[in-house]
Amino acid sequence: MRESRLMLVQYATAVAAVALVSVHLIMQGVIYPYATAISFNNILSIYKNGFYAIFLEALLVVVLVHGFNGVRIILNELRQTKPWTAWVDAVTVLAIVVAVAYGTRTVILAVFGGGPV
Amino acid sequence: MAVGEEKAKNKRGVLGWLDPYHYNAERWAYFFQRVTGVAILLYVLGHLGDTSFFVGGPTGTGPSPSAWEFIGSIFENSFGHLILILVVLVLFFHGVNGVRLILAEFGLILRKPSAIEYPYRPKGLGFGQKVLIYVAIAIAVAAATWAFLVLFEGMG
Repeated sequence: MRESRLMLVQYATAVAAVALVSVHLIMQGVIYPYATAISFNNILSIYKNGFYAIFLEALLVVVLVHGFNGVRIILNELRQTKPWTAWVDAVTVLAIVVAVAYGTRTVILAVFGGGPV
Repeated sequence: MAVGEEKAKNKRGVLGWLDPYHYNAERWAYFFQRVTGVAILLYVLGHLGDTSFFVGGPTGTGPSPSAWEFIGSIFENSFGHLILILVVLVLFFHGVNGVRLILAEFGLILRKPSAIEYPYRPKGLGFGQKVLIYVAIAIAVAAATWAFLVLFEGMG
């Protein structure tokens, strides 16, 4: 993908992250008291709510794409050789895939996993 | 300045960020945008790890109150809450300052360009951008204060 497109991705995910993280923080200390927000039963009920599970998955993807793409931009500013850029880009994609996969696993197991153990 | 010296000066990499010589508010904002961005990513990766204990950790198979209680016993204390307050501080600075950068990128808050003249002193980016930098700092401090009240005083 062209660098100009990747910068647009960075800005789009930034705007989305501001909105999604704001909602996430409001859920943690405004709508519910913090102690309630992090209680097991409250989190379980949130995961079981399909809408909020999708919200958490969107938050996961948006924040990780923005974060790793940001690090990629910093690293590509430090050096501009073709091999360096290719490696940085490849590692960035791999890191995003692995991190999103691990976070998605948590969401899926929380939503569809067996009962509390 | 010889070509080699000029090249070396402009290729200091990350160390170049840490040299505050000739820094102005915008340059500090650039520096902190990068540093807070990396810090937030590290926190997010840690958060991915700790939230995975809701389903029993890396080898879990479903919601696990015991694993969640275990991870809570590690992070839900004064030190953990202090880290969360710092995360809120840098998160809000990064977010609001990031909005400023997007507005600047699309030319909405740039001032008119002027001729570059020797001795090339750094120029400010204009009143609007400086105000937004200070607004970002103010919002970050207010959010961190709110986080302190929520985490240590039971507000929310």
